[in-house]
Amino acid sequence: MAMPVSGVPTETPVSQAPELGSARAFGRIGRAVRLNRKATIGAVILGIFILIALFPFVIAHDSPTQDAYPAQLGISTAHLLGTNHYGQDLFAQLVYGTRNVLIIAFTVGLATTGIAVLIGVAGAYLGGTWDNSLNVVTDVLLVIPLFPLLIVIAAYAHGGTTPVLILAITLTSWSYTARQLRSQALTLRNRDFLEAARVRGERRLYIIVVEVIPTMTSLIVASFLTNALYAVLFASSLQFIGLGDPNTVSWGTTLYWAQNNAALQTGEPLWAIAPGALIAILGAAFALLNYAFDEIGNPALRPVRKTRKKGAQPVGRGQRG
Amino acid sequence: MADEPVLEVSGLSVDYILDAGNVRAVDDVSFTVGRGEFLGIVGESGCGKSTLLFAVAQLLAPPAEVAAGSVMFGGNNLVGLTDGQLSAVRWRDMSVVMQSAMNALNPVKTIGAQFKDAMRAHGKVPDRDIAARSAEVLQMVGIDPVHLRSYPHQLSGGMRQRSMIAMALLFTPDLVIMDEPTSALDVVAQRSLMVQIKELQLAFGFAVVFVTHDMSLISHFSDRLMVMYAGQVDEIGATRTIFDRPLHPYTQGLLEAFPSIRGPRVPLKGIPGSPPDLARVPSGCRFRPRCPYAVDKCAEVAPDLYPLDEALVRCVRREDGSLVS
Amino acid sequence: MTAELDGGDTPKAGLLRAEHLTRHFKIGSALSRRTLHAVDDVNFTIGEREIVALAGESGSGKSTIARVLSRIYLPTAGEVYFEGKPLSAMRSRAERLRYSGLVPMVFQDPFASINPVFRVSHGVLRCLKLHRPSLSEAQRQQEAARVFEIVGLNPDMLQRFPYELSGGQRQRVGFAQALAMKPKLILADEPVSMLDVSIRIGLLNLMAKLRDEEGVSILYITHDIASARYVADRLIVMYAGQIAETGPIEDVLTHPRHPYTQLLLSAVPDPRAPLSVAAETDRGEPPRVIDPTPGCRFRWRCPLAIDTCSQVTPELAELRPTHSAACHVAQNSPEEVQAFTAASSEAYAKVAPPHPKSRSRRTR
Repeated sequence: MAMPVSGVPTETPVSQAPELGSARAFGRIGRAVRLNRKATIGAVILGIFILIALFPFVIAHDSPTQDAYPAQLGISTAHLLGTNHYGQDLFAQLVYGTRNVLIIAFTVGLATTGIAVLIGVAGAYLGGTWDNSLNVVTDVLLVIPLFPLLIVIAAYAHGGTTPVLILAITLTSWSYTARQLRSQALTLRNRDFLEAARVRGERRLYIIVVEVIPTMTSLIVASFLTNALYAVLFASSLQFIGLGDPNTVSWGTTLYWAQNNAALQTGEPLWAIAPGALIAILGAAFALLNYAFDEIGNPALRPVRKTRKKGAQPVGRGQRG
Repeated sequence: MADEPVLEVSGLSVDYILDAGNVRAVDDVSFTVGRGEFLGIVGESGCGKSTLLFAVAQLLAPPAEVAAGSVMFGGNNLVGLTDGQLSAVRWRDMSVVMQSAMNALNPVKTIGAQFKDAMRAHGKVPDRDIAARSAEVLQMVGIDPVHLRSYPHQLSGGMRQRSMIAMALLFTPDLVIMDEPTSALDVVAQRSLMVQIKELQLAFGFAVVFVTHDMSLISHFSDRLMVMYAGQVDEIGATRTIFDRPLHPYTQGLLEAFPSIRGPRVPLKGIPGSPPDLARVPSGCRFRPRCPYAVDKCAEVAPDLYPLDEALVRCVRREDGSLVS
Repeated sequence: MTAELDGGDTPKAGLLRAEHLTRHFKIGSALSRRTLHAVDDVNFTIGEREIVALAGESGSGKSTIARVLSRIYLPTAGEVYFEGKPLSAMRSRAERLRYSGLVPMVFQDPFASINPVFRVSHGVLRCLKLHRPSLSEAQRQQEAARVFEIVGLNPDMLQRFPYELSGGQRQRVGFAQALAMKPKLILADEPVSMLDVSIRIGLLNLMAKLRDEEGVSILYITHDIASARYVADRLIVMYAGQIAETGPIEDVLTHPRHPYTQLLLSAVPDPRAPLSVAAETDRGEPPRVIDPTPGCRFRWRCPLAIDTCSQVTPELAELRPTHSAACHVAQNSPEEVQAFTAASSEAYAKVAPPHPKSRSRRTR
């Protein structure tokens, strides 16, 4: 339906605001995030976590590793979350652990999405044997059960230090996103503007990088957020079951030690609950931001403003013939 | 019963509620459709004709809503009825044919299955009657009933549109609303479909409201014609009257924008410019920036529809007699 | 818009010449391989400074021809000569690039043919960069502004995004992109079909202006004969992948020889023509181009079909000066066609359109 608004030609139904490249995109994304309540909340939470990761010493004055304090203290002003079995300050541990978690999240997110974009979009656009071979690789990795593979890799590496974790999770996660991006790229493949680019003589690589990928920014950003979220969950899970490096300061390792010391049963519930809660909150932040990008990309998902007239029956969405 | 109009729209206005403010896409539109009458609604993209159609059929979705006016059909004002009350009317008395059959038909269901869905949704019809009626309506539009088992993609564009029309006729409604059903078709299929629609209309006596941007297409089939521009009705009258003596400069411009295949080849101008942004309509007459006959008065007075020579026209210069064609 | 026609001379020395041009597509699964004859043995020329209209319905092959000429598809058989040289001889990237600049394409859908992510200057500047590499950055900007003005757009619009432009304006951008490459022949694939009727004239006038003032030839692909008449010098009517009739446009439209041309003419809605009695006409069913049998492909819809039509595929033969048609009846009994032309709408009413048996095959 034609929706005439300022600046939009009245001649055509403008189906959705387009994806845009470069600086303008960030401006638009920023605005979209501000307008969407879910996204704003997500962005604020994520922002707080990033600040904590960047400047942990500002918030937590104790060292996370020194077991210098009396053990098993409860919540107090000196130790906001108490101390654990070893006399370490729990709050400090979690604050310093944020950095590790976010590094994993962002690195895996970027790497996974990067690989997926290259393989998925190139396969879709190039078609033929290229597509078939890339598909084989993607599908093989897609089908292997993720978590068991992670366990095998991490175990084989003798205790996953952070780089190992990042590598393992990236290796096992990119295929799903590659599939998704390939599907989206396939729908774009026969769009006229790509044919126009071909006809004017552009090279294939140019078309993929400059013409196709910028039109997929919404999906790519959403994929990044999803992958970051899953990276947090997977990394924490691996650390929790003991495959991480137990000496790294991270939420998952804190959980590991809590579990090892049966924290819940021995009256130190915060030790087990706090890291879990933080993981959940960070995950929620990513998920909320993701909603925003879904809604930017697909206006049909946007929440509908209720009609303001009282008394009038809402005009219904009728059945279609 | 005979003289009562089947549809009476009075002062209908439709607004889009947007963050930046409300935009009035349909402004105070009134018209009637008599029994068995064929009314054509003509206008460019963005003039509000599709929005008007959706408003009449009560298919508006947020952010669009009816801001004022009434749609009287079968003794009820459709504006303000709930979905439940509307469903008694829908398809039995009034049905809709959409613009693109490929979008309106479910691609994973056979035609017969979709007819069945429609019949089940709007009435309690025994199964064997469903099959019989489905075959009957397909034959009415000239499709072999064996195609009840076909999927939409197996039919040609023309056949798909015909099956949409058949579906609209399942309950022999009093009024069928059509939104540019021929625009996706080739010229031969288009003509054939128009002829078919007209024949069905004459045979079964239902009224038709037909929205299109192609005036020449409708010229041979409609009884009355309504020309819309920028959300308003600019001219309305009998088809032949409008074609022989177009009163509104916009209608004149539209008629002159069709190259002819007969007669001398003459250069044509079309209508320069484009329709106004409905969020910021020009003062006075909305067509003024593009009108070859505009004078100062046109910027000051927003004209109303004025009866002239058996038609209604919205033009101050026609009203005061200063424009004589 | 010039009213001068070639008036009996052969079309000017071929800028582009298609000889026995054929393009088939393989369809169906491995178990039932079939061939779709999109274009079959088509011959035509396009001269300098002329607009040739290629008219037909969907399934006629006209869009496929455009894509073969722009090298999106390669021909299955036959050859295309541009400025005397065969396209198949173009092996190097440089040669192909040069050709794509001399024979650019304008697409049908103004809402899909421009990348929505970039400003509208992007396409024009890329065309300039690829095809006129000697220009400096500043010169490119100047050129972009110049071609925008030629097509009737304000050069300020270069900084706009596609969604800010109307359909007509976007199509003009398409023409500007083509012009930027200094083309000899523009392939316009239904450039106005998706525009409002009142906007079409503006673009048709632009095409005529490009022919007259810029010396560009245009292959105007359309299904709308009236617009073809408005702007074109010659007309090629296609049906089911083959040429049905071709000649100077006025001649073809006033003395149509092929029954299909007559059908197209009778189907054009003309508000100025007197109201005709509603008669059942041809349904507009798509032609059969999948594994076609020999014989005229129009025979199932043709009111004049005779036995020969089912057996022998008709060839194009000149019936009037520079005006040819591929029809046995037209070639052997011209009086019959003339009488038919005079009474065509009634004649079509008598033909019961055949309903192809519904096997589950795709119809286009």
